[in-house]
Amino acid sequence: MSKEDFYEEMSRAVVNLDEDKALEYADKAIKENLSLLEVVEKGYAAGIRKVGELWEEGEFFLPELMRGAQIMQNCLDLLIPHLQSGSEKISRGTLVIATIEGDIHSIGKTIVGTMLRAYGYEVYDLGADVPAEKIIDIAIEKDADIIGVSALLTTTMIGQKKIVDLLKERKLVDKFKVIFGGAPVTDTWVKKCDADGFAENAIDAVKLVKSLMNK
Amino acid sequence: MLFQDWIKDDSKIILFDGGFGSELIKRGLTSGKIPDILNIEQPEIISQIHKSYYDAGSDMCQTNTFGSTPLSLMRHNLESRIEDIIESALKNIREVCPSGCLVVGDIGPTGEFRPPVGNASSEQWYSSFSTQAKLLEKGVDLWHIETISDLEEILSAINAIRDISKKPLIASITYKKTKRGFFTIMGDSLEKCIKALDNENVDVIGANCTLGSNDMLELLKDAAKFTEKPLSVKPNAGQPIIEGDKTFYKQPVEEFTNDIREMIELGAKIVGGCCGTSPITIKEIRGIIDSF
Repeated sequence: MSKEDFYEEMSRAVVNLDEDKALEYADKAIKENLSLLEVVEKGYAAGIRKVGELWEEGEFFLPELMRGAQIMQNCLDLLIPHLQSGSEKISRGTLVIATIEGDIHSIGKTIVGTMLRAYGYEVYDLGADVPAEKIIDIAIEKDADIIGVSALLTTTMIGQKKIVDLLKERKLVDKFKVIFGGAPVTDTWVKKCDADGFAENAIDAVKLVKSLMNK
Repeated sequence: MLFQDWIKDDSKIILFDGGFGSELIKRGLTSGKIPDILNIEQPEIISQIHKSYYDAGSDMCQTNTFGSTPLSLMRHNLESRIEDIIESALKNIREVCPSGCLVVGDIGPTGEFRPPVGNASSEQWYSSFSTQAKLLEKGVDLWHIETISDLEEILSAINAIRDISKKPLIASITYKKTKRGFFTIMGDSLEKCIKALDNENVDVIGANCTLGSNDMLELLKDAAKFTEKPLSVKPNAGQPIIEGDKTFYKQPVEEFTNDIREMIELGAKIVGGCCGTSPITIKEIRGIIDSF
């Protein structure tokens, strides 16, 4: 099997929600000394993106979406220790991420967290429906570099702005970079809120975090 | 009982109330606070909103208890205040409910999902709904379980209510429109949900929230194929638009009420509005109902 075909198989295992296969492939990838970053990106992340597309299409629903994310997470738990011990280890940073209060959409944020972990960042995922105050408190406690806030509803996006507003109020603006995620988020919204950036997908999120950490 | 008379009377279209959260936002409620605590903190505002709907012509309005379950209140560290919250909610609506109108006990989702999405179990749901229903029972004329996005959760709520109350019950699920039709976010089709509710001891089957009036119209046509029970619709006023730090529903009232008119013509027994609808919307619908 070519490498590309192998990645395709990994992706398919995630889409079919076949955890045993997905884990078996991860194990094989480690044993065969494949580039694990490539495995994550071209295999598992491709799979979870396809799961996301199927959700958009109305073929998959919340349970499939969450199951897909869990399978990807479990594969990454297997891959990450090898990733970080090898030559692919990269400089780390710490992130606190959450879906904002009033919003229970967690898939996008979970995927972003998973990808960031895969790239060696330390990620504290606080889950969904988290009050702005709590996100900031934990960012302080964990001495985070970046706060990532997701909102999937136009009605809850306001909470993203609240994060920046609260940081200003508490004179903490310089301490953290703030990034947004979620389908309704636009560049205009990011500028309006004085945030530091947003990403359309997990891969972009990794690039964004990388560039912010280098600033 | 008045509600049962309304149900039996073929010429009667029952007018429900409109959006509550959006009315609170209009009055400056900041996002993040659970509206249920306002029953205690700002009872006059809650009563005022109920009154505005009764004044606009609603036959029945629902208590401000959407999130008054232990599971939901727990996320706001308010579970110990559930008795006060519900007691105040009943007082706030009772004192403005005109004679000839009814008070509906509002039961919203617990916000906790079953695996693999969350960790909730049917037993937890049942116990949470049961606590809420026991506290509401003495002050309501009927029930509305609404905005539930999981068939299993609504069945738990129905069981909890039916174990303590014989009052009429409306069971409303919230659906999203997909390319393959209407589904809950947990993946239950409209057909599956309606057929399941048809088998339960509920008086009216409903749909509310998520969908705007035009999609709800489409849903109603489908739903009517799967049940002979009366149907209730409470759509949103289109989709929300965010401007600055405020949320707006910009669908023209006339567009909404035209869809409601069609829903009545298609046989909807109970009509009202959800997010973004206001007493103005309800007053317009009153005019339409009275003109039939």
